[in-house]
Amino acid sequence: MSFRLRLALLFVTTLVAVQVFTAVLVYEVARRGVIAEGERQLAAGADAVARQLDDISARVADNVHVLALDYALRAAIAQRDEGTLLSALRNHGRRIGAARMLLIGLDGAVRSDTVEADAVGHAFPFPDLVDAALDHPAAAVVAMGGKAYWMIVVPVYAPGPIALIAAGIPVDNDLLTHLQQLSALPNTLELISDSGGGHWTGIAHGGELTLAPELMATRRDLPLQPTVVAVGGREYVALAKRLKESERSAPIAALLAYSLDDALHPYHSVVLAWASLLALGLAGGLIGALLIARSVARPIEVLANTARRIESGNYAPAPPLRGLGEIGQLAAAFVSMTHAIAEREEHIRYQALHDAVTELPNRQAAEDGIQRFLRDSSQPQGALLMIGLARLPEIIQTLGHAIGDRVMRDASERLRAQSSGAFIARVTDTQFSLWLDHADADIARMRAARVLEILSIPYREADVSLDTAPAVGIALAPLHGHDAGTLLRRAEVALIAAPGAEHAVAVYDEATDPHRPERLGLMGDLRKALDRNELHLCYQPKLHLASDVIDGAEALLRWQHPQRGALPPDAFIGLAERTGNIRAVSRWVIDRAIAQAAEWARGGHALRVAINLSARDLDDATLPDLIADRLAAHAVQPHSIVLELTESAVMSEPDMAVRVFDRLAQCGIELAIDDFGIGQSSFAYLRRLPVREVKIDRLFTQALADDAGDRALVQSMVELGHRLGYRVTAEGVETAGALDFLRAIGCDHAQGYYIAAGLEPTIVQDLLASRAVRAGALA
Amino acid sequence: MNLARSAIVGVGLLLGASAPAAELSVLVTDSHSATIADAVVSLRGEHDQPLRAVPSPITKIIDQRGEAFIPYVEIFRPGDQVVFHNSDRTRHHVYSFAPAKSFEFVIGSGRSAPPVTLDQIGEIAVGCNIHDRMIAHLYVSDAPHVAKSGLDGRVVFDDLPTGAYSVQVWHPQLRPGRTEPPRATILESTPVNLTIALSLLPDPRAGADDPERSKY
Repeated sequence: MSFRLRLALLFVTTLVAVQVFTAVLVYEVARRGVIAEGERQLAAGADAVARQLDDISARVADNVHVLALDYALRAAIAQRDEGTLLSALRNHGRRIGAARMLLIGLDGAVRSDTVEADAVGHAFPFPDLVDAALDHPAAAVVAMGGKAYWMIVVPVYAPGPIALIAAGIPVDNDLLTHLQQLSALPNTLELISDSGGGHWTGIAHGGELTLAPELMATRRDLPLQPTVVAVGGREYVALAKRLKESERSAPIAALLAYSLDDALHPYHSVVLAWASLLALGLAGGLIGALLIARSVARPIEVLANTARRIESGNYAPAPPLRGLGEIGQLAAAFVSMTHAIAEREEHIRYQALHDAVTELPNRQAAEDGIQRFLRDSSQPQGALLMIGLARLPEIIQTLGHAIGDRVMRDASERLRAQSSGAFIARVTDTQFSLWLDHADADIARMRAARVLEILSIPYREADVSLDTAPAVGIALAPLHGHDAGTLLRRAEVALIAAPGAEHAVAVYDEATDPHRPERLGLMGDLRKALDRNELHLCYQPKLHLASDVIDGAEALLRWQHPQRGALPPDAFIGLAERTGNIRAVSRWVIDRAIAQAAEWARGGHALRVAINLSARDLDDATLPDLIADRLAAHAVQPHSIVLELTESAVMSEPDMAVRVFDRLAQCGIELAIDDFGIGQSSFAYLRRLPVREVKIDRLFTQALADDAGDRALVQSMVELGHRLGYRVTAEGVETAGALDFLRAIGCDHAQGYYIAAGLEPTIVQDLLASRAVRAGALA
Repeated sequence: MNLARSAIVGVGLLLGASAPAAELSVLVTDSHSATIADAVVSLRGEHDQPLRAVPSPITKIIDQRGEAFIPYVEIFRPGDQVVFHNSDRTRHHVYSFAPAKSFEFVIGSGRSAPPVTLDQIGEIAVGCNIHDRMIAHLYVSDAPHVAKSGLDGRVVFDDLPTGAYSVQVWHPQLRPGRTEPPRATILESTPVNLTIALSLLPDPRAGADDPERSKY
């Protein structure tokens, strides 16, 4: 529901409520007034009825009295001339308007009756009237033969009382109507009689209307006080008045009623006028309310639209709304609020995109800005200089963040001072970025040199002089990346290399990037390679120096990558170790190597195959079982294989290594320490391992022919190994001199290019065969 | 003297004890204890015979003066005569419908009607057909002792033989058909006082200024 509608509804409902309330109030007041008036009129009317009936009786009594003085009548009575008497009574009855005339003897017996001849000789039914008549005029309403009479009894004197004349005036509809007309009585006058057991029935009524049957059907008691009653859906004030009645007659009452509806009738025109006024007022009020609501709601709708626009980020000022009082104030407040929000948002945006210390754009802003340039420029070329202050962490740790901030601010100011056409940002705590549009490598290097020149001047504060050790890494677009994120990352990689580089400036070199993402892709390829048989093993023979017999070979892993070509183990083993793929590789190698050993054994070549394990393989508790299983599967003797582990691998997981090595040794498998001499092996520790062999690293053997120091070292190592009970193998034997020296000092085995490189299994077999021939020839 | 006791024990107790004379005083009042004049009190001793005929009939004159009969009540003995005399200057039409004697005279001013012999006992109401308020009552009684009360409402019988008597009171304004019942009383030598209260109708002779009367 719109505001406009609600406002209009409020107006209208309020108006209607007030009007209806007032109308009800006025109606109620009027009704009470009418009731009070009705009660008053009824009381007066009831008295008037009684008085008029009395008047009638007095008049009739007077008339009867005059009649009774008629000498002839008296003579007829005294002389009991009944015929004359009856005719005289009829005659006189007509004169006075009596419907029934009776002559009653002093003994109370009817002597003559103008209506019912049968009544003659019977007692007059209302002796109390006869008794009273001698004292004063006796009159009462009586019911006789189903009709009501106003019965008036008058004695006849001749000159003493000799008889009584009873005159019955019929109280009928005509009389009541007459009474009503005479006295302007309320609109209903009825006569009701108790027809037995409190059951009141109507006898006669004035006017058209009779209420008694319906009213008295529902009640037993008479409404002796003015009472509001409802009859036939209309309301009346009713009042009953008991009439003067004979003791012997059924109770009779006059029932007067005053119609409230009729009394309220004059108000109907008032009500009509009121309703018309209300309707007019409603219409006027509605229109007015709509107009007002319109004048209020319009600006509010405008403001609502403005608010929605602000919500969507459009801070254009709202259209001016003038001369509208509160709404105008609201509009003004809206405008100022819009400005405030815009300012605040600008502030927040600035904070979000700027570094608070240097007030330079932050990394996000730098990335956005560079990205925007690369996207929008027709020639997306440029250079990103990543400027790092290498000593800053140290400065902060030593002197605190406050001075760190000041150093950075100082550096930012220096950069800004010479940053013509460059986009500078602070991308990390210790690094600034500087973007040069359209710059190539040479420009970038020149710019880097200038930057370093400026930043190399130590920062001075009080008596402290701080050298920040600036360095610059450079990434070039589009050479090193087409998007800002890549450029930033690569410039950072370059920066890592920069401190060691000449002039502390380094351009990104993909080859030295250890973080190239494609390496991750390599691991997926590695898993596929296992399935696709892209991996294979080659074997480097091991020469037993004492017998000059090749009695062993080291299995070396090779990967023929479909795109990258042959990959050395270094290129993917370390990655496989880090990504958890090494186990699958190791299992494959173990299986293949044992199978090869079995094959050679079948071919009559007793070659002990050396298998390299990874440090990660030590985590695998199932490894010994696996190897035992493979050995059994290929029917290979445990001593036919040697497991090689690098010194560093052993040292990284010493406890695990001890457990695994023990179990392997129990299986009869010999273990060798690879790369002996360059790690941090503890002899005390090595002694705990069931190691049978150590392999001296190529580092010591390569220059063996020339370097006396190396010779001394190798000799010592061989002696030490032997003393400790190890077989000693020298790796990296590349010259005859080295081989001769090793043989001379008693080294057990030699391995190296001079003897043989890593060879395919078949070639190894060929080699063995040829050596056997040669040996046989020599022998 | 207790009337109730006398009514029960009176008759026969004093038979034959007729030597001394006794006196009876009857006071007639209305229901408000006001004395009533013109009340006729009749006494009948238990051995008294009704009077058959008057040895010497008397003629009594009922005068008409100032549109009134004077006296209002007159006692007659059977055989007595009554003469109506008109002392007014108007004519009077005297009539009676009474069963005891009915008559009708138009009497001119200063004239008298012929005598009427009242030979039957009973009450004869006499009126004037011209003047409604003129009423007289002729009371013809055969009781041995009969008298009417004066303005003091008292009737005194002296020199009565002692004995049992029935006492009856009549008044023209007694309610029709409700004659006062006779009362028994015993007379001894000492005077007996009897008070009888009557309930009376209004006096029909009342003047035009009588509001009650004027209603009729």
